[in-house]
Amino acid sequence: MRLPRLKLEKVVALKGWGAAKVSIYSIITAFIIFSAFLLWEGANPIEAYRHIFSFAFDPRLGLVSTLHRSMFLLFATLAFILPLKAGLWNIGMEGQFYLGTVGAFAVAYAWGDLPSGALIPLMLIAAALFGAGYGVIAGFLRGKLGVNEIVVTLMLNLTAFWLIQFLIVGGPWAGIGECRSRPLPDSAVAPEIGGLPFTVFLAIAISVIFFILFTRSKVGYQIRSFGSNPSAARHVGMSPFKISVLVMAVAGAIAGLSAYHMWAGDPRFYMIPQPEAYKSIGDLTYWGIMVGLLCLLNPLAAIPVSIFVGALKVGGPVLIRRMKLPFGLDLLFLGILFLSFVAFQFFYRYRIKRVKEKR
Amino acid sequence: MWSFIARSLEITTIFLLASIGELLNQRGGVLNVGIEGLMLLGAASGFLTALWSGSILLGFVVGTIVGGIFGLLHGFFSITLKVDQVVSGMGIWIFAMGFTTYWADSYSGPLPKGLSPPGIGGYLSPIFFLAVALVLIVWFLLSKTHLGLKIRSVGENPSAAEATGINVARTRYLCVVVGGLSGGLAGAFLSLDYFGIWGHLLTGGMGWIALALVLFSLWRPFILFAGALIFGFVWQFSISPEAIAPGLGIPLGIIRMFPFIVTIIVLVVISTPKFRRKWGLAKPAALGEPYIKE
Repeated sequence: MRLPRLKLEKVVALKGWGAAKVSIYSIITAFIIFSAFLLWEGANPIEAYRHIFSFAFDPRLGLVSTLHRSMFLLFATLAFILPLKAGLWNIGMEGQFYLGTVGAFAVAYAWGDLPSGALIPLMLIAAALFGAGYGVIAGFLRGKLGVNEIVVTLMLNLTAFWLIQFLIVGGPWAGIGECRSRPLPDSAVAPEIGGLPFTVFLAIAISVIFFILFTRSKVGYQIRSFGSNPSAARHVGMSPFKISVLVMAVAGAIAGLSAYHMWAGDPRFYMIPQPEAYKSIGDLTYWGIMVGLLCLLNPLAAIPVSIFVGALKVGGPVLIRRMKLPFGLDLLFLGILFLSFVAFQFFYRYRIKRVKEKR
Repeated sequence: MWSFIARSLEITTIFLLASIGELLNQRGGVLNVGIEGLMLLGAASGFLTALWSGSILLGFVVGTIVGGIFGLLHGFFSITLKVDQVVSGMGIWIFAMGFTTYWADSYSGPLPKGLSPPGIGGYLSPIFFLAVALVLIVWFLLSKTHLGLKIRSVGENPSAAEATGINVARTRYLCVVVGGLSGGLAGAFLSLDYFGIWGHLLTGGMGWIALALVLFSLWRPFILFAGALIFGFVWQFSISPEAIAPGLGIPLGIIRMFPFIVTIIVLVVISTPKFRRKWGLAKPAALGEPYIKE
């Protein structure tokens, strides 16, 4: 018996369905590998997935939470997608989210007695402005001096983390007794539409706007051409500096808005919780990188993928309670998914082909 | 005072170990943004090995090797599969965050009594001298040996290197594995010798500062050494400012921002046109680009 001879064949960069299939295969592979981990832990994988999704999508149990977290993730994903369209790696969603937190809470504490109709728009504007300002630091430095934006955004994440720590642990915003901030005034709480905070619909609206922007508008075209070929971008009529600042400002604003969504849209918060808890929410922004890459920077595809991941995040802890599995399995799944995605990247440019033997 | 200096030299050790390998693999044309991940994996596996076997030395060995394995994996992705190096490095980092959280967090806490590192008072780990030796070795390798010439040419112009008979893939593999080993060792040193504990995401951004140091060093080992000394001091100062400036009265949260802000400032300074004119651009020309044979 002879083994078939295999040959690598270069393909033109995949697009559309072909590329989407690569993402789907990497999700399936990640589930297979993750199942092996579950078996290792002595759990039946099918049973585990049933527990996760039945909890996450049950309207009486996790559905509202799932949608809330999914949309938080969608904000983070959109803040990742836009700069990468222009070739900039924004991994600073965590920091921009913290700064949005600072902006929104500063307004709420200062003018807490305003009616909702005035206070909430002010909080949203402040969150967006603070986030945008923080994002612009990286965009400005990259555009002006060519400073590596990956390192800068990550340093800004860590800086912002300690800023919040300073504010709420014994600092000016510290609440009574515990390591958490003072509560938000009642008028700051996000009004609900159909049982969901209105910011859920804001996130979806931004996705749709992004989609139209990328496919139909001149700015979208300029951003894309800068991303695919920076040296040719001069010919499309916008300077690289302006593009860098613009994309990082908008991305920062979106990540900043997610702060209002997170803290004012979930009855379990209405304040900034203790550092361990908000850190784990900050970690959620790293899923934004994964979701953005998985859906090939397509803002509409990001909606279902975010909901899927949100379900995993909300349903995951059920495994700890119901099946006595260890903590951190959801982060492990993220890691496995990312690595399998990296490996599958290969198939964007190559295809394995069987070589026909000559008789 | 001496104990402050010893502690900051140990931080220098961590930065040096993590970045000297990265410097080598960037010189060979491969960017690995996942140093933080290599360190986490080295730290977790080293810590758990020491916990289970009772041997610190074995912990160091395993932590280093695990780092090397993930360096190799990065090489496989970025050299053989020709995946975008930033995506692959991010993969290593995020996988490490997830895997170490799942695997090691339930063992959070200090090493048992017999294994814990000597007290803080004036002890300087011998690994410091190993790190300094590594700097000298890498400098010698890059500037005085034939292999160093090969590595540099692979990083500058891989197709020309290939034409002169250098095996580009093999040379790059060598560099990324060394980069992985040194990242793993840095992590093992962090959990076994510097802290003597394991805790959630123990590295706290050190791997990213190491990456910034490589950019700052303009890919020269001795500038890297100087940078690591400065950042060792800055980091230790942010942890125990009272050793240098008693009664400073700055809240913890503010002082802990210090190293990260300094990193950004340093990166900005080295990127200014004036600085660039003076020092020249030493960036390996093919850095970050997969080599695809035509």
